[in-house]
Amino acid sequence: MININAQEILFNQIGRDLPKKLSAYCIGGTAMMLRGFKGETRDIDIVFDKERDRNLFIETLEKQDFKKDEKRVIETYGLKKNTPTMLRLESGDFIFDLFLNKIISSVFSDGMKNRATQTHEFGGNLIIKVADPSDILIMKSVTAREKDNEDIIEIINKTKLDWDIIIEEAKEQVRLGNEEAILGLGEKLEKLVNSKAINVPQEVSDKLWNFFTKQIQDKAKKTK
Amino acid sequence: MINERYAPIISIIEGTRTIDDVQEKLKIDRAKAIYLLHRLRKLGYIRTKYLPNKKRVYSITFLNKQKGTSYLEAFNENMPNSAFKINDKEDHFVHGNKIKAEDLLIYALKKGTVRFVISSLILFRKIKDWSYLYRLAKKEGLTRQISALYEVARLFIKKVRKMPKRFISFTTPKKDDKYLYIIKGFNSDDFKNIEKKWKVYIPLNRADLEEYKLI
Repeated sequence: MININAQEILFNQIGRDLPKKLSAYCIGGTAMMLRGFKGETRDIDIVFDKERDRNLFIETLEKQDFKKDEKRVIETYGLKKNTPTMLRLESGDFIFDLFLNKIISSVFSDGMKNRATQTHEFGGNLIIKVADPSDILIMKSVTAREKDNEDIIEIINKTKLDWDIIIEEAKEQVRLGNEEAILGLGEKLEKLVNSKAINVPQEVSDKLWNFFTKQIQDKAKKTK
Repeated sequence: MINERYAPIISIIEGTRTIDDVQEKLKIDRAKAIYLLHRLRKLGYIRTKYLPNKKRVYSITFLNKQKGTSYLEAFNENMPNSAFKINDKEDHFVHGNKIKAEDLLIYALKKGTVRFVISSLILFRKIKDWSYLYRLAKKEGLTRQISALYEVARLFIKKVRKMPKRFISFTTPKKDDKYLYIIKGFNSDDFKNIEKKWKVYIPLNRADLEEYKLI
Protein backbone atom coordinates (compact mmCIF):
# COMPACT_ATOMS: atom_id res chain seq x y z
CA MET A 1 0.00 0.00 0.00
CA ILE A 2 1.07 3.58 -0.60
CA ASN A 3 -0.31 6.46 1.43
CA ILE A 4 -1.06 9.95 0.18
CA ASN A 5 2.14 11.40 1.59
CA ALA A 6 4.42 8.77 0.01
CA GLN A 7 2.50 9.05 -3.25
CA GLU A 8 3.09 12.81 -3.31
CA ILE A 9 6.84 12.33 -2.78
CA LEU A 10 6.95 9.67 -5.53
CA PHE A 11 4.97 11.79 -8.02
CA ASN A 12 7.16 14.82 -7.28
CA GLN A 13 10.22 12.72 -8.06
CA ILE A 14 8.67 11.49 -11.30
CA GLY A 15 7.66 15.07 -12.20
CA ARG A 16 11.23 16.24 -11.68
CA ASP A 17 12.69 13.36 -13.72
CA LEU A 18 10.34 13.68 -16.70
CA PRO A 19 12.12 15.45 -19.56
CA LYS A 20 8.98 17.38 -20.58
CA LYS A 21 5.50 18.25 -19.35
CA LEU A 22 3.18 15.27 -19.47
CA SER A 23 -0.51 15.13 -18.73
CA ALA A 24 -2.53 12.06 -17.65
CA TYR A 25 -5.68 11.13 -15.76
CA CYS A 26 -5.86 9.20 -12.53
CA ILE A 27 -8.71 6.86 -11.69
CA GLY A 28 -9.41 4.27 -8.99
CA GLY A 29 -7.60 4.41 -5.65
CA THR A 30 -5.28 7.27 -6.58
CA ALA A 31 -8.21 9.42 -7.68
CA MET A 32 -10.01 8.55 -4.44
CA MET A 33 -6.95 9.55 -2.41
CA LEU A 34 -6.55 12.84 -4.24
CA ARG A 35 -10.22 13.55 -3.64
CA GLY A 36 -9.87 12.78 0.06
CA PHE A 37 -11.99 9.60 0.12
CA LYS A 38 -9.25 7.37 1.47
CA GLY A 39 -5.78 7.45 2.92
CA GLU A 40 -3.95 4.74 0.98
CA THR A 41 -4.15 2.50 -2.07
CA ARG A 42 -2.49 -0.57 -3.54
CA ASP A 43 -2.84 0.40 -7.22
CA ILE A 44 -1.82 3.69 -8.79
CA ASP A 45 -4.12 3.71 -11.82
CA ILE A 46 -3.21 6.21 -14.52
CA VAL A 47 -4.83 6.67 -17.94
CA PHE A 48 -2.88 8.20 -20.81
CA ASP A 49 -4.17 9.81 -23.99
CA LYS A 50 -1.12 9.09 -26.07
CA GLU A 51 1.08 6.04 -26.39
CA ARG A 52 4.24 8.18 -26.45
CA ASP A 53 3.30 9.81 -23.13
CA ARG A 54 2.81 6.42 -21.55
CA ASN A 55 6.16 5.24 -22.91
CA LEU A 56 7.88 8.33 -21.55
CA PHE A 57 6.30 7.73 -18.15
CA ILE A 58 7.42 4.09 -18.21
CA GLU A 59 10.99 5.11 -19.12
CA THR A 60 11.01 7.54 -16.20
CA LEU A 61 9.73 4.86 -13.80
CA GLU A 62 12.31 2.38 -15.05
CA LYS A 63 15.06 4.89 -14.27
CA GLN A 64 13.75 4.81 -10.69
CA ASP A 65 14.15 1.00 -10.56
CA PHE A 66 10.53 0.13 -11.29
CA LYS A 67 10.24 -3.07 -13.32
CA LYS A 68 7.48 -4.24 -15.64
CA ASP A 69 5.41 -7.06 -14.11
CA GLU A 70 3.83 -8.92 -17.03
CA LYS A 71 3.02 -11.97 -14.92
CA ARG A 72 0.86 -9.84 -12.67
CA VAL A 73 -1.08 -8.50 -15.69
CA ILE A 74 -2.10 -12.05 -16.62
CA GLU A 75 -2.82 -12.98 -13.00
CA THR A 76 -5.05 -9.95 -12.53
CA TYR A 77 -6.74 -9.56 -15.88
CA GLY A 78 -6.32 -12.94 -17.60
CA LEU A 79 -6.74 -12.66 -21.35
CA LYS A 80 -8.92 -9.54 -21.28
CA LYS A 81 -8.31 -6.74 -23.77
CA ASN A 82 -6.98 -3.25 -22.94
CA THR A 83 -4.91 -4.40 -20.00
CA PRO A 84 -2.51 -1.93 -18.40
CA THR A 85 1.26 -1.96 -18.35
CA MET A 86 2.10 -2.77 -14.74
CA LEU A 87 5.26 -1.65 -13.02
CA ARG A 88 6.46 -2.18 -9.48
CA LEU A 89 9.48 -1.85 -7.26
CA GLU A 90 10.92 -5.15 -6.12
CA SER A 91 10.53 -4.05 -2.50
CA GLY A 92 7.26 -2.15 -2.93
CA ASP A 93 3.78 -3.33 -2.06
CA PHE A 94 2.02 -1.04 -4.51
CA ILE A 95 1.86 -1.17 -8.29
CA PHE A 96 1.45 1.23 -11.20
CA ASP A 97 -1.35 0.30 -13.64
CA LEU A 98 -0.79 2.39 -16.76
CA PHE A 99 -3.73 2.35 -19.18
CA LEU A 100 -4.07 3.81 -22.64
CA ASN A 101 -7.54 5.39 -23.07
CA LYS A 102 -9.36 2.12 -22.36
CA ILE A 103 -9.59 0.52 -18.94
CA ILE A 104 -10.37 -3.15 -19.62
CA SER A 105 -14.04 -2.88 -20.64
CA SER A 106 -14.51 0.82 -19.85
CA VAL A 107 -13.50 3.69 -22.09
CA PHE A 108 -12.13 6.90 -20.62
CA SER A 109 -14.55 9.00 -22.65
CA ASP A 110 -14.37 12.68 -23.63
CA GLY A 111 -17.07 13.42 -21.04
CA MET A 112 -14.94 11.82 -18.34
CA LYS A 113 -11.94 13.88 -19.46
CA ASN A 114 -13.96 17.10 -19.34
CA ARG A 115 -15.27 16.32 -15.88
CA ALA A 116 -11.75 15.74 -14.52
CA THR A 117 -11.39 19.38 -13.48
CA GLN A 118 -9.21 18.89 -10.42
CA THR A 119 -5.58 19.12 -11.54
CA HIS A 120 -2.39 18.32 -9.63
CA GLU A 121 1.00 19.47 -10.86
CA PHE A 122 3.85 17.36 -9.44
CA GLY A 123 7.50 18.38 -9.60
CA GLY A 124 6.85 20.79 -12.46
CA ASN A 125 6.36 18.30 -15.30
CA LEU A 126 3.77 15.74 -14.21
CA ILE A 127 0.18 16.95 -14.56
CA ILE A 128 -2.39 14.58 -13.12
CA LYS A 129 -6.08 15.23 -13.66
CA VAL A 130 -8.37 13.51 -11.20
CA ALA A 131 -11.42 11.62 -12.45
CA ASP A 132 -14.79 12.87 -11.20
CA PRO A 133 -16.37 10.78 -8.40
CA SER A 134 -19.28 9.81 -10.69
CA ASP A 135 -16.82 8.42 -13.24
CA ILE A 136 -14.82 6.56 -10.59
CA LEU A 137 -18.12 4.98 -9.55
CA ILE A 138 -19.00 3.91 -13.11
CA MET A 139 -15.58 2.30 -13.63
CA LYS A 140 -15.75 0.54 -10.28
CA SER A 141 -19.23 -0.79 -10.99
CA VAL A 142 -18.06 -3.12 -13.77
CA THR A 143 -15.44 -4.95 -11.69
CA ALA A 144 -16.00 -7.99 -9.51
CA ARG A 145 -13.66 -7.02 -6.66
CA GLU A 146 -15.14 -6.73 -3.17
CA LYS A 147 -12.96 -3.74 -2.28
CA ASP A 148 -14.48 -1.80 -5.17
CA ASN A 149 -17.86 -2.17 -3.48
CA GLU A 150 -16.43 -0.51 -0.37
CA ASP A 151 -15.14 2.33 -2.55
CA ILE A 152 -18.54 2.75 -4.21
CA ILE A 153 -20.20 2.95 -0.78
CA GLU A 154 -17.64 5.56 0.28
CA ILE A 155 -18.23 7.66 -2.86
CA ILE A 156 -22.02 7.53 -2.66
CA ASN A 157 -22.13 8.27 1.05
CA LYS A 158 -19.63 11.11 0.95
CA THR A 159 -20.47 12.97 -2.25
CA LYS A 160 -23.49 14.69 -3.65
CA LEU A 161 -23.61 12.84 -6.95
CA ASP A 162 -25.41 14.01 -10.04
CA TRP A 163 -27.22 10.82 -11.03
CA ASP A 164 -28.12 12.20 -14.45
CA ILE A 165 -24.40 12.43 -15.29
CA ILE A 166 -23.90 8.84 -14.15
CA ILE A 167 -26.82 7.53 -16.21
CA GLU A 168 -25.76 9.50 -19.29
CA GLU A 169 -22.16 8.29 -18.96
CA ALA A 170 -23.31 4.68 -18.58
CA LYS A 171 -25.25 5.09 -21.84
CA GLU A 172 -22.18 6.66 -23.46
CA GLN A 173 -20.09 3.69 -22.31
CA VAL A 174 -22.53 1.31 -24.02
CA ARG A 175 -22.35 3.43 -27.18
CA LEU A 176 -18.54 3.20 -27.03
CA GLY A 177 -18.69 -0.58 -26.84
CA ASN A 178 -18.79 -1.33 -23.11
CA GLU A 179 -22.00 -3.35 -23.25
CA GLU A 180 -21.96 -4.23 -19.55
CA ALA A 181 -21.92 -0.61 -18.34
CA ILE A 182 -25.64 -0.15 -17.66
CA LEU A 183 -26.23 -3.70 -16.45
CA GLY A 184 -23.13 -3.65 -14.24
CA LEU A 185 -24.04 -0.34 -12.68
CA GLY A 186 -27.69 -1.25 -12.13
CA GLU A 187 -26.82 -4.63 -10.68
CA LYS A 188 -24.13 -3.30 -8.34
CA LEU A 189 -26.26 -0.44 -7.06
CA GLU A 190 -29.19 -2.77 -6.44
CA LYS A 191 -26.97 -5.17 -4.51
CA LEU A 192 -25.60 -2.41 -2.31
CA VAL A 193 -29.04 -0.86 -1.77
CA ASN A 194 -30.39 -4.29 -0.74
CA SER A 195 -27.57 -4.69 1.76
CA LYS A 196 -28.58 -1.25 3.12
CA ALA A 197 -25.08 0.13 2.55
CA ILE A 198 -26.27 2.98 0.32
CA ASN A 199 -29.37 4.86 -0.73
CA VAL A 200 -30.07 5.38 -4.40
CA PRO A 201 -33.22 7.14 -5.62
CA GLN A 202 -35.72 4.61 -7.00
CA GLU A 203 -36.05 6.76 -10.09
CA VAL A 204 -32.36 6.12 -10.89
CA SER A 205 -32.72 2.35 -10.64
CA ASP A 206 -35.87 2.46 -12.78
CA LYS A 207 -34.13 4.52 -15.45
CA LEU A 208 -31.15 2.15 -15.53
CA TRP A 209 -33.36 -0.92 -15.94
CA ASN A 210 -35.39 0.81 -18.66
CA PHE A 211 -32.23 1.64 -20.57
CA PHE A 212 -30.99 -1.91 -20.11
CA THR A 213 -34.25 -3.31 -21.50
CA LYS A 214 -33.98 -0.95 -24.46
CA GLN A 215 -30.36 -2.00 -25.00
CA ILE A 216 -31.39 -5.67 -25.18
CA GLN A 217 -34.25 -4.90 -27.56
CA ASP A 218 -31.95 -2.87 -29.82
CA LYS A 219 -29.42 -5.66 -29.86
CA ALA A 220 -32.09 -8.23 -30.67
CA LYS A 221 -33.26 -6.08 -33.60
CA LYS A 222 -29.71 -5.83 -34.91
CA THR A 223 -29.13 -9.59 -34.77
CA LYS A 224 -32.38 -10.23 -36.70
CA MET B 1 0.62 1.55 10.35
CA ILE B 2 -0.63 4.59 12.28
CA ASN B 3 -2.56 5.75 9.25
CA GLU B 4 -4.65 2.56 9.25
CA ARG B 5 -5.52 2.99 12.93
CA TYR B 6 -6.82 6.49 12.45
CA ALA B 7 -8.34 6.09 8.96
CA PRO B 8 -11.83 5.00 10.14
CA ILE B 9 -11.95 7.86 12.65
CA ILE B 10 -10.93 10.40 10.01
CA SER B 11 -13.64 9.05 7.72
CA ILE B 12 -16.25 9.73 10.40
CA ILE B 13 -15.15 13.24 11.38
CA GLU B 14 -13.89 14.39 7.98
CA GLY B 15 -14.80 17.95 7.01
CA THR B 16 -14.75 21.30 8.75
CA ARG B 17 -15.50 20.70 12.45
CA THR B 18 -15.48 22.36 15.82
CA ILE B 19 -14.51 20.43 18.94
CA ASP B 20 -18.22 20.06 19.77
CA ASP B 21 -18.84 18.44 16.37
CA VAL B 22 -16.05 15.93 17.00
CA GLN B 23 -17.46 15.10 20.44
CA GLU B 24 -20.92 14.61 19.01
CA LYS B 25 -19.83 12.56 15.98
CA LEU B 26 -17.68 10.17 18.00
CA LYS B 27 -19.76 10.28 21.21
CA ILE B 28 -16.70 11.03 23.33
CA ASP B 29 -16.01 13.53 26.09
CA ARG B 30 -14.17 16.81 25.58
CA ALA B 31 -10.82 15.63 26.95
CA LYS B 32 -10.75 12.66 24.58
CA ALA B 33 -11.74 14.86 21.64
CA ILE B 34 -8.92 17.30 22.44
CA TYR B 35 -6.41 14.45 22.65
CA LEU B 36 -7.63 12.93 19.38
CA LEU B 37 -7.37 16.26 17.56
CA HIS B 38 -3.89 16.71 19.00
CA ARG B 39 -2.81 13.28 17.67
CA LEU B 40 -4.35 13.88 14.25
CA ARG B 41 -2.70 17.27 14.00
CA LYS B 42 0.68 15.71 14.82
CA LEU B 43 0.07 13.20 12.03
CA GLY B 44 -0.72 16.01 9.61
CA TYR B 45 -4.43 15.37 9.02
CA ILE B 46 -5.67 18.60 10.59
CA ARG B 47 -5.33 22.27 9.75
CA THR B 48 -6.65 24.72 12.30
CA LYS B 49 -8.37 27.98 11.45
CA TYR B 50 -9.81 30.63 13.72
CA LEU B 51 -13.22 32.24 13.42
CA PRO B 52 -13.59 36.00 14.07
CA ASN B 53 -14.73 35.15 17.64
CA LYS B 54 -11.42 33.26 18.08
CA LYS B 55 -13.17 29.91 18.13
CA ARG B 56 -11.09 27.12 16.55
CA VAL B 57 -12.33 25.29 13.49
CA TYR B 58 -10.55 22.16 12.31
CA SER B 59 -10.27 21.15 8.69
CA ILE B 60 -9.95 17.36 8.87
CA THR B 61 -9.12 15.39 5.74
CA PHE B 62 -6.63 12.85 4.39
CA LEU B 63 -5.64 15.55 1.89
CA ASN B 64 -3.99 17.67 4.60
CA LYS B 65 -1.24 15.07 4.70
CA GLN B 66 -0.09 16.27 1.30
CA LYS B 67 2.22 19.24 1.18
CA GLY B 68 0.87 20.51 -2.13
CA THR B 69 -0.86 23.85 -2.31
CA SER B 70 -4.02 24.67 -4.16
CA TYR B 71 -3.87 27.67 -6.51
CA LEU B 72 -7.18 28.84 -5.12
CA GLU B 73 -5.95 28.55 -1.54
CA ALA B 74 -2.74 30.42 -2.40
CA PHE B 75 -4.78 33.05 -4.24
CA ASN B 76 -7.09 33.55 -1.26
CA GLU B 77 -4.16 33.71 1.14
CA ASN B 78 -2.88 36.71 -0.79
CA MET B 79 -6.16 38.57 -0.47
CA PRO B 80 -6.36 41.35 2.12
CA ASN B 81 -9.80 40.38 3.45
CA SER B 82 -12.70 38.03 2.88
CA ALA B 83 -14.39 40.39 0.41
CA PHE B 84 -11.72 39.51 -2.14
CA LYS B 85 -11.57 35.77 -1.48
CA ILE B 86 -13.12 33.46 -4.05
CA ASN B 87 -14.81 30.10 -3.87
CA ASP B 88 -14.48 28.00 -6.98
CA LYS B 89 -15.16 24.37 -7.83
CA GLU B 90 -12.41 23.73 -10.33
CA ASP B 91 -9.00 23.64 -8.75
CA HIS B 92 -5.36 23.23 -9.53
CA PHE B 93 -2.84 21.96 -6.99
CA VAL B 94 0.93 22.32 -7.13
CA HIS B 95 3.25 19.86 -5.40
CA GLY B 96 6.99 20.22 -4.98
CA ASN B 97 7.12 23.84 -6.18
CA LYS B 98 6.10 27.13 -4.63
CA ILE B 99 3.28 29.13 -6.21
CA LYS B 100 4.41 32.71 -6.78
CA ALA B 101 2.30 35.87 -7.03
CA GLU B 102 3.22 35.96 -10.73
CA ASP B 103 1.70 32.48 -11.24
CA LEU B 104 -1.41 33.54 -9.35
CA LEU B 105 -1.95 36.60 -11.50
CA ILE B 106 -1.88 34.52 -14.68
CA TYR B 107 -4.12 31.87 -13.06
CA ALA B 108 -6.67 34.54 -12.15
CA LEU B 109 -6.75 36.06 -15.62
CA LYS B 110 -7.09 32.64 -17.24
CA LYS B 111 -10.17 32.00 -15.11
CA GLY B 112 -11.89 34.71 -17.15
CA THR B 113 -14.39 35.91 -14.55
CA VAL B 114 -14.96 39.45 -13.26
CA ARG B 115 -14.55 38.32 -9.63
CA PHE B 116 -11.12 36.89 -10.33
CA VAL B 117 -10.02 39.96 -12.30
CA ILE B 118 -11.11 42.33 -9.51
CA SER B 119 -9.32 40.34 -6.82
CA SER B 120 -6.22 39.79 -8.94
CA LEU B 121 -5.35 43.52 -8.96
CA ILE B 122 -4.02 43.32 -5.40
CA LEU B 123 -1.41 40.83 -6.60
CA PHE B 124 0.44 43.63 -8.40
CA ARG B 125 1.66 44.66 -4.94
CA LYS B 126 3.48 41.34 -4.68
CA ILE B 127 5.03 41.07 -8.14
CA LYS B 128 8.81 40.95 -7.78
CA ASP B 129 10.00 38.94 -10.76
CA TRP B 130 8.73 40.91 -13.76
CA SER B 131 10.73 38.90 -16.27
CA TYR B 132 9.16 35.67 -14.95
CA LEU B 133 5.74 37.31 -15.20
CA TYR B 134 6.52 38.37 -18.77
CA ARG B 135 7.51 34.83 -19.74
CA LEU B 136 4.30 33.41 -18.26
CA ALA B 137 2.15 36.11 -19.83
CA LYS B 138 3.79 35.67 -23.22
CA LYS B 139 3.09 31.94 -23.10
CA GLU B 140 -0.59 32.57 -22.38
CA GLY B 141 -0.97 35.59 -24.71
CA LEU B 142 -1.72 37.93 -21.82
CA THR B 143 1.11 40.48 -21.98
CA ARG B 144 -0.91 43.56 -22.95
CA GLN B 145 -3.71 42.58 -20.61
CA ILE B 146 -1.27 42.55 -17.68
CA SER B 147 0.02 46.02 -18.48
CA ALA B 148 -3.50 47.42 -18.84
CA LEU B 149 -4.65 45.93 -15.54
CA TYR B 150 -1.48 47.16 -13.86
CA GLU B 151 -2.46 50.71 -14.75
CA VAL B 152 -5.92 50.17 -13.29
CA ALA B 153 -4.34 48.72 -10.14
CA ARG B 154 -2.08 51.79 -9.75
CA LEU B 155 -5.19 54.00 -9.69
CA PHE B 156 -6.84 52.17 -6.81
CA ILE B 157 -4.22 50.35 -4.78
CA LYS B 158 -1.49 51.94 -2.72
CA LYS B 159 2.05 50.55 -2.56
CA VAL B 160 2.01 48.92 -5.99
CA ARG B 161 5.61 48.60 -7.16
CA LYS B 162 6.68 50.32 -10.34
CA MET B 163 6.58 48.24 -13.48
CA PRO B 164 10.01 48.06 -15.16
CA LYS B 165 10.38 50.07 -18.37
CA ARG B 166 11.43 46.91 -20.19
CA PHE B 167 8.09 45.28 -19.39
CA ILE B 168 6.23 48.36 -20.61
CA SER B 169 8.17 48.53 -23.87
CA PHE B 170 7.77 44.79 -24.52
CA THR B 171 4.02 44.96 -24.01
CA THR B 172 3.20 48.23 -25.77
CA PRO B 173 0.84 47.51 -28.67
CA LYS B 174 1.92 48.11 -32.24
CA LYS B 175 -0.05 50.28 -34.64
CA ASP B 176 -1.80 47.42 -36.39
CA ASP B 177 -2.51 45.38 -33.25
CA LYS B 178 -6.17 44.63 -32.64
CA TYR B 179 -8.04 45.19 -29.39
CA LEU B 180 -7.98 42.23 -27.00
CA TYR B 181 -10.51 41.14 -24.44
CA ILE B 182 -9.68 40.02 -20.91
CA ILE B 183 -13.19 38.62 -20.65
CA LYS B 184 -14.93 38.22 -23.97
CA GLY B 185 -17.67 40.78 -24.53
CA PHE B 186 -16.82 42.91 -21.47
CA ASN B 187 -15.44 46.44 -21.75
CA SER B 188 -15.27 49.49 -19.52
CA ASP B 189 -17.14 52.79 -19.40
CA ASP B 190 -14.62 54.33 -17.01
CA PHE B 191 -11.18 53.29 -18.23
CA LYS B 192 -11.37 54.27 -21.88
CA ASN B 193 -7.90 55.90 -21.85
CA ILE B 194 -6.24 52.77 -20.54
CA GLU B 195 -8.18 50.65 -23.01
CA LYS B 196 -6.99 52.91 -25.85
CA LYS B 197 -3.39 52.98 -24.67
CA TRP B 198 -3.00 49.19 -24.41
CA LYS B 199 -5.65 48.19 -26.95
CA VAL B 200 -7.22 45.98 -24.32
CA TYR B 201 -10.84 46.02 -23.16
CA ILE B 202 -10.97 46.30 -19.38
CA PRO B 203 -13.87 44.26 -17.94
CA LEU B 204 -14.22 46.62 -14.95
CA ASN B 205 -15.74 49.95 -13.99
CA ARG B 206 -14.86 52.21 -11.06
CA ALA B 207 -17.81 50.88 -9.06
CA ASP B 208 -16.38 47.34 -9.23
CA LEU B 209 -13.29 48.50 -7.38
CA GLU B 210 -15.00 50.23 -4.44
CA GLU B 211 -13.73 47.53 -2.05
CA TYR B 212 -10.16 48.68 -2.65
CA LYS B 213 -10.93 52.00 -0.99
CA LEU B 214 -11.38 50.16 2.31
CA ILE B 215 -7.94 48.55 2.42
